[in-house]
Amino acid sequence: MVDAPLYLEPRVEEPLRGLLASPALLHSLVDALGSPLNVVLPDVIADNVAAFRAVYRRHHLGGQVYFAHKANRSSALVRRLAATDAGLDAASLDELGHSLGSGFTPERVLATGPKDPDFLWLAARAGVTVSVDSHAELTDLIRLVRAHALPCVRVLLRLSGFEAEGVRVLSRRTRFGTPVGAVGALLDLAERHRDAVELSGVAYHLDTTGIDEKALALEGCVLVMDEARRRGLDPRAIDIGGGYGARYLADGEQWERYTTELTRAVLGRRPPLTWRGHGYGLRNEGGTVRGQLTLYPAHRSVAGPAYLDELLTTRAPTLDRTLADLLLEHLYDLHVEPGRALVDQCGVSLARVLDVRPLDDGSHLVRLGMNAGDVTLEEHGVLADPVIVPRDDRREGGEEGRAPVGVYLVGNLCLEADLVTRRMVFLPALPVRGDVLAFPNTAGYCMDFHAHRAQMQPRARTVAAGRRAGSWWWSLDERYWPSTYMSGEA
Amino acid sequence: MRYDDITEAIGNTPLVRIDPAVHGLRGIDLYAKLEMLNPFGSVKDRAAWGMLRPRLDAATAAGEQVVELSSGNTAKALAVLAGMHGLTFKSVTNRMRVPEIRELLVLLGAEIEELPGRSECLDPTDTDDPLTQFHRSLSEDGTSYLHTDQYYNPRNIEAHATGTGPEIVKDLGGRSPDWFIACVGTAGSSTGVARVLREHDPGVGVVGLVAGKSDFIPGIRTIDEVNEVGLFDPDTYDTIEAVSADEAIDGMVVLNRRCGLLAGPTSGAAYHGAVRHLREHDAEPGEHGEHRTAVFIACDRVESYLGYVRQRRPELLGRAPHRNALSSVTEAELAAVRSVDVAGAREWIARERPLVIDLRGPHAFAALHIEGSLNIVDELFEQQVHGGLPFGRGQSVLLVCPVGEKSARFAALLTRMGHPDVRSLDGGVVAWRDAGAPLTRD
Repeated sequence: MVDAPLYLEPRVEEPLRGLLASPALLHSLVDALGSPLNVVLPDVIADNVAAFRAVYRRHHLGGQVYFAHKANRSSALVRRLAATDAGLDAASLDELGHSLGSGFTPERVLATGPKDPDFLWLAARAGVTVSVDSHAELTDLIRLVRAHALPCVRVLLRLSGFEAEGVRVLSRRTRFGTPVGAVGALLDLAERHRDAVELSGVAYHLDTTGIDEKALALEGCVLVMDEARRRGLDPRAIDIGGGYGARYLADGEQWERYTTELTRAVLGRRPPLTWRGHGYGLRNEGGTVRGQLTLYPAHRSVAGPAYLDELLTTRAPTLDRTLADLLLEHLYDLHVEPGRALVDQCGVSLARVLDVRPLDDGSHLVRLGMNAGDVTLEEHGVLADPVIVPRDDRREGGEEGRAPVGVYLVGNLCLEADLVTRRMVFLPALPVRGDVLAFPNTAGYCMDFHAHRAQMQPRARTVAAGRRAGSWWWSLDERYWPSTYMSGEA
Repeated sequence: MRYDDITEAIGNTPLVRIDPAVHGLRGIDLYAKLEMLNPFGSVKDRAAWGMLRPRLDAATAAGEQVVELSSGNTAKALAVLAGMHGLTFKSVTNRMRVPEIRELLVLLGAEIEELPGRSECLDPTDTDDPLTQFHRSLSEDGTSYLHTDQYYNPRNIEAHATGTGPEIVKDLGGRSPDWFIACVGTAGSSTGVARVLREHDPGVGVVGLVAGKSDFIPGIRTIDEVNEVGLFDPDTYDTIEAVSADEAIDGMVVLNRRCGLLAGPTSGAAYHGAVRHLREHDAEPGEHGEHRTAVFIACDRVESYLGYVRQRRPELLGRAPHRNALSSVTEAELAAVRSVDVAGAREWIARERPLVIDLRGPHAFAALHIEGSLNIVDELFEQQVHGGLPFGRGQSVLLVCPVGEKSARFAALLTRMGHPDVRSLDGGVVAWRDAGAPLTRD
């Protein structure tokens, strides 16, 4: 009963495309290091930084591109970044240690996120900039600096709850940041304790794709910076956080067709597209669709550096200049913290096909040597098809057996819930035992965000790979250093 | 026509024939139902009044606020109607992408709430869609709302079943047209009119038009979004077809320029979708060989959509290039500009007191600037020089911008216009600050 295949072909660009076209290499890697296996391409992250820098140059802006480390824990990626001019946003004690140990000097590191006293102490001791979440945290930091006789710490004040004039722009409720209405007390503290903390700027991070919300926040930050200047402080930078997005799919029409068919399936106007009729947030109430699609917008016309460009070209809601002009004219630097967008096309997750079995409805179950915690596509709402890397090109039966199929990808845990995909994945041919399925572009959050040791299944090793003189090199992630493997050098 | 109340002017809109020389259909007469001529400017006037009227007295007594999920025309009509009756109005939307309409609503006294955009990192604790949150907020304690609920309210359909539909039949001499073509937004007008037309002639062909999925046409839903509308029933339509934003604008321009109908892009979509659909049936003969008829709805006016057109098809608003346009500066002229570095500029200012013009925005200028400088924002300055030099030739001028790029272009232009001594600050205010030169705030 599988009708026209609803492919969601992943966007795969060079050099990832070349890697996926190297089945012998990928199979030997999985044979040697086990399934699942993550492969990261460290040179790509450097190219992505350069693409963000190009947007800075176009708008004549200064400031830092901070990699949000939480997007991926690979050492290779962090060390390769250390060999660029990028910064790093560390959101935990261990991430901070990792970045310093990978070659990041303290002035290129920003400590963000929820912080315990140890994290705060190391940040202050090392001399990294601290993005302060609340009044209490700033008080703690000042106390730490005094108690341990530490040097003055540079701080950014993370703000939230920006208010618009004329039109009320609603934003999702956030756990983070200080409401902008209460910024006065923060500035009071910074003013009073200038010997302990140096206000280097303000920050916001909004979890939204909405340009208007971000424009409102950025303008709000400019106003706060001016207030700080009026008080005789000398803030220099506005940190606008992340959320630039990635484009996971190659073809917008496939995405539109898929979501339309999903809506029809929820309304009962076509057979289900998901395991047990899961609606991805949509539900049918008397023939009308309610709820919202809890899926990452996997195809979008503007993502990554282009989204930053669009944001900077947007006019500020009341000061009526483009946001880029507003920053430049006020002599403020721009900090960004892309996670997902910086690791775009940087990584792939590999899994061995362990078992293939038919189901009553004509679809198949494909059991993989990985589980839903190893590649958290569903957790992050990212829908993109895997690429089949065949074990043997000269498969018996030739082209005859190569008809499109719908499959459910299930994991290696003895749990009903362990579905690598809750949707039926359409593939151009049925994979067979021994093939490898490659999930492209998983380096942003999907690759190892939730991997854990349940049921003692093997956790994915990570290797770094790249091209040199026409052939692929690879190294264990922890053994990668730019001095040995950086391409195009010495 | 003499009325006591503007609401009496709602409805009874003209049905105007489109010149066959324009649409090119030979066997079909095409008519536009000019809903844009309703007093508040759109087809939504009928539904808004239909939904509000029966509940006005109770709402006034209770001091309720009228609320609606609307990005445009329904909000406009409700804002006026509510205001006329001493009530306030709030529009909640995540679709208000037409800035002119947003400002008009504020002018009419409406309160506007924009719903949050989509989440970038999926948050499993965020289970409700914004609309569910909106409905919940309506029932919270201590709030008092009149929710007109246009996507579910049967009075929306009723307004067209008792007004728009019968008017079309009357103007066609008591007959239904052979085709009725309508864009689907709330589905109110298409459902109400189709019901009446089918009562007269079950054979009428009803065409619903939706927007292409990645397109935005104001007032029209996409093929997926119509499923979120309570009034939408796929059986109302014989066919549902998609129109692109480009086609909508093409259709709009034809209505504007060739038919004398100052209708907006949604009307353009209806016209374009109508002609495209009817062209396929144009060769089929009518029952007795006579001309057949088709009606589409021209639902609102063009004026609010200039920004929409500017964004998508700027060439349609093309004006002759300005004299002294900044964009006409050549590389050679730019290379010949006299720029002056920070040290040189400080010395020059102290010696000759040139006029220092800072081209940045007023807020940035107020925060920090070179002492004694004058702020003329670049956009304003550009308009000024279209007409000629804004200062005498004897007055030396130093132009300042953030990094010295914009000021160099202006310096090149003013030099071409005949100014003998206009210079650009090399590296701009950024270089000035980095050199440690003084900046003041007043």
